[in-house]
Amino acid sequence: MVTASALRLKIEQTLEGRFPAALTPAPRTIREVTATGIAAVDKLLDGGFPVAAISEIAGPSCSGRTSLALAFVAARTAEERVCAWVDADDAFDPESAAASGVELGQLLWVRCGCNAKHEKNWTRLEQAVRSTDLLMQTGGFAAIVLDLAGIDPAQAMRIPLATWFRFRQAADRTRTSLLVLGQASYAQSSAAVVLNTEPMRLESLGGTVLDGGAFAISRRRQRFQPQMINARKPPASTWTANTQWAMERSA
Amino acid sequence: MDSKHAVGDGAKRMSRELYLSIHAAEFPAQALLRLRPELRAQPVAVMDGPALQQTICSLNRHAVQLGAARGMTRLEAEAIAGLQLIVRSKAEEASARAVLEECAAQFSPRIEEVSLGTACAFVLDVAGSERLFGPADALAAQLRRAAGGAGFRISIAVGENFHAARIKAVATPGISIVAAGEEARTLGKLPLALLDLDADQSETFAMWGIRTLGQLAALPEVELVTRFGPAASRWRALAIGTAAHSFQPIEQALELSEFCEFESPVEEIDSLLFVAARMIDSLVARASARSLAVASISVEMRLEGSKTHRVALHPAIPSSDRKFLLKLLQLEAAAHPPQAAVRSLTIEAGSGQISKVQLGLFAPQTPEPSHLDVTLARIRAIVGHDRVGSPLLEDTHRPHSYRMEAFHAEQPDGRLAPHAARIALRRVRPPRQIQVTLRDDKPTTFRDGGELYSIAAAYGPWRSSGCWWSLGAWDAEEWDVLAADRNGVALSCLLVRDRLRDSWQLEAFFD
Repeated sequence: MVTASALRLKIEQTLEGRFPAALTPAPRTIREVTATGIAAVDKLLDGGFPVAAISEIAGPSCSGRTSLALAFVAARTAEERVCAWVDADDAFDPESAAASGVELGQLLWVRCGCNAKHEKNWTRLEQAVRSTDLLMQTGGFAAIVLDLAGIDPAQAMRIPLATWFRFRQAADRTRTSLLVLGQASYAQSSAAVVLNTEPMRLESLGGTVLDGGAFAISRRRQRFQPQMINARKPPASTWTANTQWAMERSA
Repeated sequence: MDSKHAVGDGAKRMSRELYLSIHAAEFPAQALLRLRPELRAQPVAVMDGPALQQTICSLNRHAVQLGAARGMTRLEAEAIAGLQLIVRSKAEEASARAVLEECAAQFSPRIEEVSLGTACAFVLDVAGSERLFGPADALAAQLRRAAGGAGFRISIAVGENFHAARIKAVATPGISIVAAGEEARTLGKLPLALLDLDADQSETFAMWGIRTLGQLAALPEVELVTRFGPAASRWRALAIGTAAHSFQPIEQALELSEFCEFESPVEEIDSLLFVAARMIDSLVARASARSLAVASISVEMRLEGSKTHRVALHPAIPSSDRKFLLKLLQLEAAAHPPQAAVRSLTIEAGSGQISKVQLGLFAPQTPEPSHLDVTLARIRAIVGHDRVGSPLLEDTHRPHSYRMEAFHAEQPDGRLAPHAARIALRRVRPPRQIQVTLRDDKPTTFRDGGELYSIAAAYGPWRSSGCWWSLGAWDAEEWDVLAADRNGVALSCLLVRDRLRDSWQLEAFFD
């Protein structure tokens, strides 16, 4: 009597020339992810942003990039971890961060744009990239946000691929999630996840206060996800965020 | 019976006095050469006195071989080819003396200073230390090695009589052991000049033909006292090694300080750091000898033109890692360089307990404190000193009031509850001046640079004011605005009207 396993082995040996291990499922590496704190985005990313990898949030102004990044950092600081925000445009708002739940004592804020008394006159983009490099090599940060949202894409595109590759290696070695905010995607093949965001759809045009907004988001790249051959459009979702005063009023 | 004798001998051995004398000759030269090892192999003489009347006060053996001698004038000294002349530094000597004392303190807590002239000398009460350091010769060898490591050449004598050990150390280089009961014989051949005699007394003894301590000891005590007075009795006791002494230990306060004065002003930071590295080495070694670490470093540079430049370092945790401390100093000095050439360098260190961190198996990872210190210093050098840290919100209603605090990767006491997603603002720093068109006191359009935005919805005004009693008064009117440009690109932003100056500003974007 031929057993099922013997039969499977025979079929695989027959087809070995054309399909190696035809009936054995391919081993799948499970990557660790961390939740962003926003259910719709976590669902879109199959759990959240990957740990020890580069993730990018690309989109125009007022498209919820900062809110999403702050929600992610708030979730990390809520786990008693420390994070860093490298602010190339000096646009970070501590009040918004505190309102989003970020524990400010566990957040390192690096404000670029002002030249120190240094022999080299670095641009704010160079300052941001060098600071991020130093933080990535130090390790111990659960998340580092490289905020290039205010930088002209033409300039940010000039960041060498070798830099992104070094960031990717450092993230992998130090178990740090590097989140890059920008108007476009810059890390290219070094990015594990790329999310595209769309400008805010207004929630309450007719009200008396600005209650919040809905943001459209789509997943353009996810390196550790099996290829979806039939997918014609990238997976997309919508998430909403409320203003602080709207939350206080509803409470 | 035998064991009884052994105990008795042990008790006798423990109860006997034992003194170790350290003598660092030519201390002004040694103090200067300690931090300048490149000069140790060269003939060096130290000049002392007013500018035009300087004479050699101290010199090393290479200088003696060249023919230099104490008391030579600067003119005479400059005539000797190859002789390096350095001006005496009392501050550097004080610093070196503290280092030598620290070195001695590793072997005994009871130390008395017996410095005389240009020598620096200490006598240690080392009775009962055999179990810790072994026999007297082993103890002396260890101490000489430790002093050598700190940059000193010393002679050592060990004996049961305080003064016998002191005199022997002055007279004999290297390590000498004055055996119990053999003091008179050991000191017998030493010159009479080792006693503190004045010129008349020395002349009288010279006329008598008395040149050594042994010859003095052989004189009858009564006749000696008859001629010289009561002091002669003490000279004789010193000569035969029986002089009594009441030990007066110095109070040791841990003062971690190093000082170095440069011959010519130093302009390059690297040259300064080269010297600072040795000073930090010494400070770390002295702190480590007391099981302490360096908690802070304060550097004072005296500049040309009588100005002073100060740099302070405060590592996150006390450290004994000299490379780490030097790196911090290098980064701090690069960020705040002195504005003129440096004439002298003083480094003072604060001591702290050696940090012990118990890491939890399941505790979240945090940056390693010493690595983080160096990283933050490097980032500060890139972006500016006050632009790195943790933001701390201030308790005021004034908009965007915060200050930067030093970042410490410390874990909070309790786990925080995560919030629901909130819309965040991206600040425009500094706020941009805009032109706003109003209808019924509500903004309808605004112009930012060359772009005209039509406002679809404006929520406000949200008014706030404060500090009307002071110069820092503010009175603002905020509008949350949803707008679009000519191409229909949507924009949500925060416009602020300064009611005191009646001007509009674009403060932030909702993102």
